[in-house]
Amino acid sequence: MSETVTLTIDGQSVTVPKGTNVLEAARTLGLDISAFCYHPGLPVVAQCRQCLVSIEKNPKLQPSCQQVVGDGMVVHTTDPASTLARKQQLEFTLVNHPIDCPICDKAGECTLQRLYFDHDNADSRVDTPKVHKDKAVDLGPHIVLDQERCILCSRCIRTCDEVAGQHQLEFAFRGDHEELTTAPGEQLDNPYSLNTVDVCPVGALTSKDFRFTMRAWELEATPSVCNGCATGCNVEIHHKNGRAWRLVPRHNPQVNKYWMCDEGRFTYHSAREERLAAATVDGLPAGWDRALASAAKRLGVFLKDASQVGVVLSALHTNEDNFALASLAKAWGAGHVYIAGKPPVPARADGRLRVADVNPNTAGVKAIAEALGLSATPAFELGTTLPANLRALVVLGDVLPGLDAGKLRELEVISIAAHERGPVPSARVALPAADWLEVSGTITNAQGLVQRMHAAFGPPGQAIPAWEAVVRLAHATGVKLAWTHPREVFKDMTAAVAPWKELVWAREARPLALRFAGSRG
Amino acid sequence: MSAAHHEEETVTEGPKVLATRGRVRTVQVVRPNPHDTSFLAATATGLGITLKHFARNLFLPLRSAKSRAKAGAPVDESWKNEIETVQYPDEKVTYPERFRGLHRLTLREDGAVRCVACMCCPTVCPAHCITIVPEESNSKSIEKRPAIFEIDELRCVVCGLCVEACPCDAIRMDTGVHAHPVEDRADAIENRESLLGRGVRSIAHQGGEGPDWRATAAEKSPSGDVNR
Repeated sequence: MSETVTLTIDGQSVTVPKGTNVLEAARTLGLDISAFCYHPGLPVVAQCRQCLVSIEKNPKLQPSCQQVVGDGMVVHTTDPASTLARKQQLEFTLVNHPIDCPICDKAGECTLQRLYFDHDNADSRVDTPKVHKDKAVDLGPHIVLDQERCILCSRCIRTCDEVAGQHQLEFAFRGDHEELTTAPGEQLDNPYSLNTVDVCPVGALTSKDFRFTMRAWELEATPSVCNGCATGCNVEIHHKNGRAWRLVPRHNPQVNKYWMCDEGRFTYHSAREERLAAATVDGLPAGWDRALASAAKRLGVFLKDASQVGVVLSALHTNEDNFALASLAKAWGAGHVYIAGKPPVPARADGRLRVADVNPNTAGVKAIAEALGLSATPAFELGTTLPANLRALVVLGDVLPGLDAGKLRELEVISIAAHERGPVPSARVALPAADWLEVSGTITNAQGLVQRMHAAFGPPGQAIPAWEAVVRLAHATGVKLAWTHPREVFKDMTAAVAPWKELVWAREARPLALRFAGSRG
Repeated sequence: MSAAHHEEETVTEGPKVLATRGRVRTVQVVRPNPHDTSFLAATATGLGITLKHFARNLFLPLRSAKSRAKAGAPVDESWKNEIETVQYPDEKVTYPERFRGLHRLTLREDGAVRCVACMCCPTVCPAHCITIVPEESNSKSIEKRPAIFEIDELRCVVCGLCVEACPCDAIRMDTGVHAHPVEDRADAIENRESLLGRGVRSIAHQGGEGPDWRATAAEKSPSGDVNR
């Protein structure tokens, strides 16, 4: 137990670890001291002066983000002096702000808007023309800057320095002509650049991907976990009308803190592409009943000697999907079990959040196969040594490296996938599954953390969660798997996989309408 | 006390109770007279009123001509003003100034659409009849504009909240035109072009300093430089 310090804020006593700043101490009491430049994940600069508070026996107001707590310190956040200081500071911040909220993408989740209503809420007293700066400045591949809206809090500069470790942004000029620009010879192109858009307390930095598509208050947020790589950054899916519009990081001190990489943010695009929305037989839409009957008939021939049947688990699907298929493989007594996944990308690994393994659930699939006593081999070995007795293959997911379409057509391939790509077009029977934005389940990241994903919206067409497709396939082949909810699969799975024995299924999260979420950034 | 008061009220309001025996009450039923239910007298009175107006309107031109001749004025059509009805498809009554009719989108001075696709109107619309898809415009001063702007006039409840919400005076309901009758529901959806087709130029300032503030700011600025 580290040392603690006890202080009084607005008459309430609070005990916090030594070295905490006053602003964080106040937040533990539920007192939200306003601030623009302070971000809990970034170094403190005390630049915006919006968090001034009075501290007894201190002649001047102190920025609470920089002021470290002391034993017996008495802090006032609502006294006339500090209230007036914050109101006047906000007025200063607004002197040259263009107030173009109607076309600003941040409107609705803007810290400046919120603090204006909280602290100032008065008409402008400025009767001179505002200083005009450049609008829609292209900073890099993903980001556009509006220099007029910038309130010079330097959060983005610190984000580039700290999160990406690259100094790509700087301030230039002085006074009310001061503006944010790229550092000499640089552009904002680091792999974590879009975190600057999240931390921006106003609409100065906007993402080209999200710009002018949706207003913040129209969206709903569902918590989930990024499926871009094995790190498993916690994200919020911001969605509306049955599609995702952006992914933003969700705070998790053990995994991704406040950040995620740009590549991960764009994974929602491919989730909509090439969707398999109907069950198909020989490439033609057939509906579930006919497809299942056809799959059962084709598999039935080989299940008499199950060593001819292979099952491919997927490192891109949830633990529940894989556990369901692994259980089915075990019930069949399938002769071959493989684990498919995308090949690693060593260039991605940077010692920060990005890792070489671009499959979200590699650790989970391995743990499940091991716990069920299945000797699983990586699927890319199929390409080099195709077992002589392999006749039928049940493939989970749309990634199967090593086997080309010609070789796949020699086998009876039953595919359970969300997208019509990879092995799916060559499959005799393809069963449509939900993609990661649409499933409720868990995945296991490289650290071995089992993290919960929530379904943001329903899958398209006839698609159902993959574990449910496995259950239907099992019933068609005469194997009884009695699961009706991912919670039940999870329960059986945690009973079977020893390291996950203690885990508890988290309740379904209701989507949060962002219009009630306050500001972001 | 309040219970007693309540009882008294029910007694006075309900049918007249002649006798009460346990839970059985005998009440007096009042049935209307046959000469009231036949409505013969009322119909005759109504027809009389209609006839009176008919006769008055029939002789209006004559009366008008007579009275004008007496006053020495030329005979004219002014007697028509005294008739309440209008010959509808040929002539129409003028609506009050604040009548809410079909929507229109207003234009800027340069003829471009004023709407900046801020989504305030679809947000506030109680009937969810407005659909806007925004796009980036090539104008540097007003960066956003609607690529698609559709109003389903069948769904619209003509509340006018969209006009109230608009920060740019871009949408108005002051056309004085009814929603047209349509043969197909899809025809009731007004699109950007049809809304702009009814459009007028708005003189309200936009972008704080008006649409071309960049040019005027350079003139106003003592150094002639907008940025520094």
